[in-house]
Amino acid sequence: MDLAIKDVQRHVGKFIATIIGVGLLMSIVLIMNGIYQGNTSDGIWLIDNTATDLWVVENGRGGPFNEQSRIAEESWESVAAIPGIEKASPFISYTVQRSLAGREQHFTIIGYDVFGGLGGPGRIVAGKTITQAHYEAVADMKTGLKLGERFRIGVHDYTVVGLTRKAVDAAGNPLLYLSLPDAQEVLYDQDNRARERSIASETARLIRAGYTPEAAKRLLPLLSAGSATVNAVLVKLRPGANQHLVVSRIERWLYFSVYTTDQQRDLMIEGKLKKMGAILGLFRLLLVIVSLVIIALLIYVLTVEKIKAIATLKLIGASNGIIVRLILEQSIVLTVSSFLFAWGVVQLTYDHFPRTLVLLPHETLASFLVFFIGGMASSLVGIVHALRTPPSLALGG
Amino acid sequence: MHCVRLLHLLLEDNMSIVHVEGLRKIFGQGDLAVEALKDVSFSVEPGELMALLGPSGSGKSTLLLCISLIQEPSSGRITMNGRKIYDNGWTGIDVRRFRRENIGFIFQAHNLIPFLNARDNIAIAMEINGVHWKVARKRALELLDYLDLSNRATALPTILSGGEQQRVAIGRALANSPSIIFADEPTASLDTMRGTRVMELLKRIASEQQTAVITVTHDIRMIEGFDSLYHIVDGRLVIDDKINH
Repeated sequence: MDLAIKDVQRHVGKFIATIIGVGLLMSIVLIMNGIYQGNTSDGIWLIDNTATDLWVVENGRGGPFNEQSRIAEESWESVAAIPGIEKASPFISYTVQRSLAGREQHFTIIGYDVFGGLGGPGRIVAGKTITQAHYEAVADMKTGLKLGERFRIGVHDYTVVGLTRKAVDAAGNPLLYLSLPDAQEVLYDQDNRARERSIASETARLIRAGYTPEAAKRLLPLLSAGSATVNAVLVKLRPGANQHLVVSRIERWLYFSVYTTDQQRDLMIEGKLKKMGAILGLFRLLLVIVSLVIIALLIYVLTVEKIKAIATLKLIGASNGIIVRLILEQSIVLTVSSFLFAWGVVQLTYDHFPRTLVLLPHETLASFLVFFIGGMASSLVGIVHALRTPPSLALGG
Repeated sequence: MHCVRLLHLLLEDNMSIVHVEGLRKIFGQGDLAVEALKDVSFSVEPGELMALLGPSGSGKSTLLLCISLIQEPSSGRITMNGRKIYDNGWTGIDVRRFRRENIGFIFQAHNLIPFLNARDNIAIAMEINGVHWKVARKRALELLDYLDLSNRATALPTILSGGEQQRVAIGRALANSPSIIFADEPTASLDTMRGTRVMELLKRIASEQQTAVITVTHDIRMIEGFDSLYHIVDGRLVIDDKINH
């Protein structure tokens, strides 16, 4: 006769409620695992999926993702002229908060040379890549945009010609790919009203400085900041090219900073992602500890609830093994069932979660083992209590 | 004279199923020491229904705990079924095993396992003793039948009446065909009718199965049913005359 199962059968509703409670707690731990890994995965997704060998950025800057970097657009031609380079192309990446697909959202615009340049969308799951110089876009599904949908950013309308899945920036925001000039326009160009206000203000400033209105009108275009800048130049090396030599030449000849993809990844992991990773890691640890404490308390309460029954069993001669099995089995059933429930919850919510969840099988297994061993260890408290209970407790009212 | 007394004790020891001699139990040490049992000696024969009477704090529960091998006495001797269990110290016998093989318990509060039904409450005592669960359940049903409870086999303790719970507890005490049953106030929580029924049942068990039933009670209503009455006052058996009905 399995006493643990008999006890569970008697309190099946209560036991299920306990499993749901503990399971939800465990699911938060699993989700936190997923967010922790997803944070790193999102952080380096763009770097890993840009398929480039070198990132050329403004001198002394850690750009283009960790720090703002601005270099002249035509710099890519100078870079392309360095021996050992097969291809170099301009690249823009910046995060905006705009209305898209009927809602305000945070997303990152990627501008690239759509005619064979580097930095475009890697894998398109629906539609095609951008083939026109203007007004076409490839959007990630997370933006909510549909294939063929027209949307407005800045002063122009764009058409979604392709869709990507899970193409995100370091913060998990979806990517919107535009042609380089379109991206520059969205980034730097003001709308008509803002432009009018700016022109009026600049003209007034020149007039106050002593210029005639005609002279001010002629000078104005020369004073306005140009939009012909990019954040980085992406470089593909020729097969067999000496990477160190190429890097050193770009740095010395063109006075830029250069990062390999590995360096760019390290920069991201050690920079932007480090603190968030530490915070998530700490939360994860705290959640595991809290879960284990709650499991321990539950098992202890389950034991205390039947302490008189345990004393009676001891009095009628039950061995310690029977008592230990009763408590341990319930602990196993509680831990395993709760974990399975948690796993089910995570599987069901995985795709609907606002942040990317990366569930690594070995990490899920490790979490299970931590809970399982922790559950066993915490049941020791209940076992010690039960074994210390004198059989005489069964006697008397 | 001394030799005659020794021979008498030996004969008594051989006949009796429980033989207690010079049992003492002292709680605490030094000035704080309290002698709960003082030189208690008695014997119980097979089939005897014995009552231990006494006011609260007289030491009857301590005596029950000591002779049911739950609490270790301070000194004295306990012999059960011809085996020396305690001789100024445990004799090395596996007490828990001896208890489950030879002793049955009945409690005032019935103490049924709340998550087991009537049949399983009886069967568990046999399973603990190594009986296969199928055999245990079959015998449990037989015992329920013997106790007029066969129609309540699958009922949980919470839906059984007080008298029914006590009869299931008696069934559990009988599960391993013990030679001794210890009962702690078995009728205290029952009305006179149900209490009388339980006493009749205990009497029947004692006589049919030759089981010695040692009962701690102060339920004066039930005294008529016992074969022998022992009275404890301040830890001492002051009346040790057997009253044969």
